[in-house]
Amino acid sequence: MKQHLAKKEERRAYLLLVLPAVLLYFAVIAFPMVFSIGMSVSDYSGGQIFGGSVPINYVGFSNYTRMWKDQYFWISLKNNVYIVLISIFGQIPLGFVLAYALHRNQVRRKGFFQTVIYLPSVISSVIVGILWQTIFSPYGPFTELMQYFKPGWENTLLSNPRTAMLPVLLVMLWFYTGTYFIIFLANLQKIDQEVIEAAKIDGASEWQSLRYVILPALSGVIVTSSILAISGSLKSFDLIFGMTAGNPARRTSVLALYMYDTAFRGAPKYPLANAISTFMVAFSFLLIIITKLVEKRFGGREE
Amino acid sequence: MILRKSKLVVVLLAVLVVSLLPFNSVFAAKKVTIRVLNYLDASSPGASREIIEVWQKFEADNPDILVIREDQFNEPFHHKTEAYAAAGKLPEVLYVWPGGRSSTLHEKKLLKDITPFLGDKRNDFIDAALVPQAGGYLAMVPIGLTASHAMYVNTALLEELNLKMPKTYQDLKEMVAPLKAVGKDVIVMGAQDDWVMQSVLYSMIFGRIAGNEKVEQFIAGKAKFTDKVFVDTLKFYEQLFTDGVLSRKVMQTPYGEAPALFAAGKAPFMIDGDWRASAFLTDPTTDQALIAPKDQKKVTITVFPAIPGEVNSRASSIVPAVGYAMSAHVKKGSAEEKAAWRLIEWLNSMEVQKLRLETGAAFPTRKGVTSDRLEPLAQERAEFYGRISGTYVLDDKIAPEVCIPLNVGLQEIGMGLATPEQVAQKVQAAYDGWAKAKK
Repeated sequence: MKQHLAKKEERRAYLLLVLPAVLLYFAVIAFPMVFSIGMSVSDYSGGQIFGGSVPINYVGFSNYTRMWKDQYFWISLKNNVYIVLISIFGQIPLGFVLAYALHRNQVRRKGFFQTVIYLPSVISSVIVGILWQTIFSPYGPFTELMQYFKPGWENTLLSNPRTAMLPVLLVMLWFYTGTYFIIFLANLQKIDQEVIEAAKIDGASEWQSLRYVILPALSGVIVTSSILAISGSLKSFDLIFGMTAGNPARRTSVLALYMYDTAFRGAPKYPLANAISTFMVAFSFLLIIITKLVEKRFGGREE
Repeated sequence: MILRKSKLVVVLLAVLVVSLLPFNSVFAAKKVTIRVLNYLDASSPGASREIIEVWQKFEADNPDILVIREDQFNEPFHHKTEAYAAAGKLPEVLYVWPGGRSSTLHEKKLLKDITPFLGDKRNDFIDAALVPQAGGYLAMVPIGLTASHAMYVNTALLEELNLKMPKTYQDLKEMVAPLKAVGKDVIVMGAQDDWVMQSVLYSMIFGRIAGNEKVEQFIAGKAKFTDKVFVDTLKFYEQLFTDGVLSRKVMQTPYGEAPALFAAGKAPFMIDGDWRASAFLTDPTTDQALIAPKDQKKVTITVFPAIPGEVNSRASSIVPAVGYAMSAHVKKGSAEEKAAWRLIEWLNSMEVQKLRLETGAAFPTRKGVTSDRLEPLAQERAEFYGRISGTYVLDDKIAPEVCIPLNVGLQEIGMGLATPEQVAQKVQAAYDGWAKAKK
């Protein structure tokens, strides 16, 4: 009887402790998500939602069809895929290489490099965007530098649809690598040095200890970083907004900007914007599932 | 004794509580609070005068009103307005366009009709300022008139390069080679934001080639955007790029960068709105100017040279400009309404319009506003209006649903990604969609 009461008490305590988090989750994540999905199948055109004078009707998946048919959606999606790729195959490997080089004392002045690599991450992304906008301007320092080597060179990087995303991707690589660098550096420091030394004594080369000791130990961190990179890439907004605002001709737009433009620019189309955001969530889930599958296949040997 | 002690404690506690209360809540309880969404380019030389002589002065002269002002500029301003409108949280006073980017506010009647407030004072303004806005009623009195197209000419640079002021498009085209030879562009424009090309250049081209009557037919839906005349205007616009008069670089030049490039002599011409004259004037906080007053006389403000086949010569796209409106949610007869109107009246006063004339922020809509403190370029801007005729600014007249495909299409034509015919089709499709939705 006493034990039963204690268990009941314990469960009540658990519920009480969990309740604020659950409420918060429903208020800021679950409810907006469900609400957004509801909005995406409606014809809401602004104004009061509950009890307003204009009735809100169900319109099925017409907003999704409209999104699907819009060429700017595909341009934005393609650009987002580029950003995901540069994040996973650029920022994460580069962050790891830099962290590894510093951790294994391959370079001198460790503190200096640590600061320099991480520094971009502490600057406001909008400021970084504006700064690089000036650098890549057709009359900016980048153009002048190129003209020094190749007189008469014209900077049409951003006005050429084939190269428009290059400056943006380069800035993203520069800006976010520091974050992954710090994550890897912290986790490298957690690996027991004796294990690496033991491998060395057993005759393992630097590459072998990296391949068979360090990388397996970091597989969980790589997956976590990949998830962060995917979700971060899909919600990319501030940096690009500051740098190009998706222009010229929407050729540097991404899904978040496309959604924002749809919702707040010119004639607001809230249901369509919500359809875009729902797609972004679904696409994000899909990529994260793929990452988890890859981890299951190749990783998971941290112990 | 105990009673005396407890009385003392009570008094001390009361003093403590009062001292802890915010000063405003005790002594300024009768203040009326009004929120304002203001449009301000904080980087412009006239910004400090605007803040000190307009906003701070109003607050000093009206201690019974607390103004909570939010300054925004360019695209973020419009996005914020739309967000406030969608949320039903518009501030009491806000800066609005007569149509175009403020269409939501006008069409959904989110602004008050100010005719009853204005009364006989309407006679103080020029007639063009009293034309009802997109909602069909007078939601604001514009603080100024605006020519969205102005061509700034660096006459000193032209002289230095032995070139003459172009009278026709052909003259301008002939300058491409000599300017290229000395590493200069013909025209600088900050057209990275897609509204720029349509507002400061294309509206003028359309109005000049098509003529105002034809433009009115397009606005009224009586002509199709796939008609030859519209396609021809787009073709002329495309020609600017193929002839080298405009470089593709303009579409990757940030809007705020063009005045500095023009002042640095990167090109003898700059195309922008007339409001851009203010960027070259002296900043009173630093006493610095992008173009020193003594050199400003070497800059002329004119319009694009004669276009082949134009029917509306020397026209610029002109619009009764922006102004301050009152949100419709402000309760009739309330203290907030009175405070908001007092602020709007001040913002349209002789004193403020004179200041804006001096800073180059706006050309007055009030009758008889003059100043003897005008820098040469501000004076030049005032004289510019007497030398031009007018046509429409498209984003002021056509719905955003139709205008946005045009804005993006103009960039696509410039980048060689779309033909004039394709853009015309897209614009017409957008118009058809908009017209259908309106029914």
